[in-house]
Amino acid sequence: MKLALLILEDERPVREALRRDLAAFARHVRIEEAEDVPTALEVIEEIDAAGDRLALVMADHRLPGTSGVDFLIGLAADDRAFATRKVLVTGQADQDDTIRAINEAGLDRYVAKPWQADALRDLVREQLTEFVLAAGVDPLPHLAVLDAERALSIVRERGDL
Amino acid sequence: MTDVIDRAGHEGSGAGDRLAPLWVLIVAPEPLAASIAEEVARGLTDIAEVVCADDAAAACVQVSAHPDRIVPLVLMTASQAFPGLADSIDTRIATLDTQAVLRRASILLLTDQALHDDLSLSVDRDRLHAVIRIPGSPGVLAWHARAQAVRWLSAHRPSDPRTRALVATDGRPVAQPESDLLRLLELDTQEVATQLLAGIERVLGPRPRLLLPAGTRLIHEGVDVDAVLVVLRGRVALDHASADGDLRLHHDSTGSVVGLLSLAQQQRAFFTARATTEVEVVHLSFEQLDRALAVDASLGAAMAAVSIRALAKRLRRADQLQVEKTQLNHVLERERRQLSDALHQLEQARLELVEQARYATLGEMAAGIAHELNNPVAAMLRATTYVGEDLERVLASHPQGRLATEIFTAERERAPRSTREERAARRRLQAALGDVGLAQRLFDAGIEDPDRARALAADPPSLDLAEAVAGIGSAVRNLEVASRRMCELVTSLRAYARPKGDPVAGVDLHAGLEDTLRLMAHRLRDVEIERSYGDLPPIRCHPGELEQLWTNLLVNALDALGDDPDELRRVALITDAPDTGHVRVQIRDNGRGIDPDILPRVFEPRFTTKQGAVRYGLGLGLAIARRIVDAHGGAIELISRPGCTRVTVTLPVAGPPDDEDIET
Repeated sequence: MKLALLILEDERPVREALRRDLAAFARHVRIEEAEDVPTALEVIEEIDAAGDRLALVMADHRLPGTSGVDFLIGLAADDRAFATRKVLVTGQADQDDTIRAINEAGLDRYVAKPWQADALRDLVREQLTEFVLAAGVDPLPHLAVLDAERALSIVRERGDL
Repeated sequence: MTDVIDRAGHEGSGAGDRLAPLWVLIVAPEPLAASIAEEVARGLTDIAEVVCADDAAAACVQVSAHPDRIVPLVLMTASQAFPGLADSIDTRIATLDTQAVLRRASILLLTDQALHDDLSLSVDRDRLHAVIRIPGSPGVLAWHARAQAVRWLSAHRPSDPRTRALVATDGRPVAQPESDLLRLLELDTQEVATQLLAGIERVLGPRPRLLLPAGTRLIHEGVDVDAVLVVLRGRVALDHASADGDLRLHHDSTGSVVGLLSLAQQQRAFFTARATTEVEVVHLSFEQLDRALAVDASLGAAMAAVSIRALAKRLRRADQLQVEKTQLNHVLERERRQLSDALHQLEQARLELVEQARYATLGEMAAGIAHELNNPVAAMLRATTYVGEDLERVLASHPQGRLATEIFTAERERAPRSTREERAARRRLQAALGDVGLAQRLFDAGIEDPDRARALAADPPSLDLAEAVAGIGSAVRNLEVASRRMCELVTSLRAYARPKGDPVAGVDLHAGLEDTLRLMAHRLRDVEIERSYGDLPPIRCHPGELEQLWTNLLVNALDALGDDPDELRRVALITDAPDTGHVRVQIRDNGRGIDPDILPRVFEPRFTTKQGAVRYGLGLGLAIARRIVDAHGGAIELISRPGCTRVTVTLPVAGPPDDEDIET
């Protein structure tokens, strides 16, 4: 089982930049990209079918035909996305959209464009750790992409893993 | 009170009736009528014939039987011929008034009753001229009737020779009033004052005349008055001090004896009396006046007459002031309303100006930003190319240069694919290699051919190089895409600020529309375009500007259509020539329409994000459209409701005005 990270972004340069900044995770995490919501749903289906877990979604707000917030709200009710961490990566969500994302989609983080690569990687690491803890996934196979200290201390506390 | 009878100005219609017989009508039961007629006739033998009638109706019959008669007077008794009939005085006078000739007559009511409550209408309509108690002293009735007839004649028939015989040249009856007071009141003010002074001098001896220059104060406001001044010559004004300075209350209405009213009330002067010309006055102290009046009682009438004249004059002035004040208040109220309206309009105009200034500022800011961004963006675009060129030169001397250049070029020029296609390609590679991590690295380096992938995987230094140059390749590509897009935005901003070049004549408008449709083909994939082109003359215009205009309007229509693939999205293009001087283009869409709240503002330049989506040209699309149409001397109109939005552009065939000022 692999942890999966979905990048939902309609502009190729931005998608590629995100992927490149997160290349360090690629060896251990399944990184998928989608340019629109139908593709994203296909990807989620594939991840689920492969027995992997969707750990993190990084969605742009401005998308063709819909908005990232609406996608995240839909995702909040999806069983396949249980405990999935949700991050909005955007330059254009206004306050109302953001409030909606927090209240209705359980938004975890908001990343404003342009982003800092180091901060983005720290954020992904932290969010993957949160997912592992919340979903009750054994952190040991994924330590390379987690906040190892925190993950291990939780493992010791729980003692059942 | 609207139907007060006009008794003036009815002097007959011509010279023919100038000596028409005069009748004085007695309306009374017999034998009372006969005795009244006899007495009245004694006073009027030289003027009029006295005629009797039993009642008002009979009087009307008599008068209508003799249409040439003129009736100055009607004497009517309160008692009636038939005591059973109890017509009120009002009713009977109303009956008389059915005859025009009687409507002009003066009515004298002869009554033996102590109280009347049946003549209110007659009083109200000014139809009762005297109430005479009968029986009265012998001769009174004759005298009264004569005096009334003379007064009527002087008022109604001033040029009648009979009137001239009875009336003095100044319009007064020849007979003088018997009482001193009324006689004095008929004199003019100055004369009364002179008579009063003469009387006083008879008692007190000659009074010294005081000669005072203009500006002299004769009485001081707020100071006790203990003397009067008889003004024999010159003019005096009465001023009252107020918070807003001295008010001149009387000048023409001052009267000839100054200080009399204050003296009468034994109080401080309400006015300051000030000579406005040189004046000649006689000073009379309270004691002197008192003594003169005590010695010669007849002076009282003169004193009263002077007072009444002064009072009447000032009262009239006060009444007139009241009327003026009311009129002034109306005028002020009207002006206040006008001012209030004007203020409101000014405020509106100010708000509009502020709005305009705001958008002008925004336009200037957009132009400024565009200008400032232009150079860095151009530099960025060039630098990106240079990086590519230099890298190719560097790689040329590298041992693995061929491979690296090939990977770099492939990655830099890689055509866009959907994420779905990319995922499928990546999975194929994964399946071929059996190593997900390795496949991802190779795929990211742009290697999709399995054999080549395997070769590279076996040669780690080459793989590292391939990854690196692929990364540079995609970075350069993304830099180019991003800076080109910024160039477009900058161009769009500049387009808002300024068109360029001279207008071109003989332009086929349909060709421009078709060019625009071709350029936008990728965005119009799922949209049904209906063309309905009319015959248009070639026009003079800025063709590039018009293409920008059609682009912006089509983009606006596409925005309204939304992205729902299930709905039929349709845009109609309709062209025609409404007259020989103009061409017209309509662009209609069947989209959701424009929110009525923002409809009035769609042509205003603005930066907008709606539902997270930035509109074309940072929300300047329609503002640019309007600017272009304005610059062409045309008109643009937008009507929108759900399911139908229609933009109509009308352009002059002759093109932009010659003296067009291109700057906006």
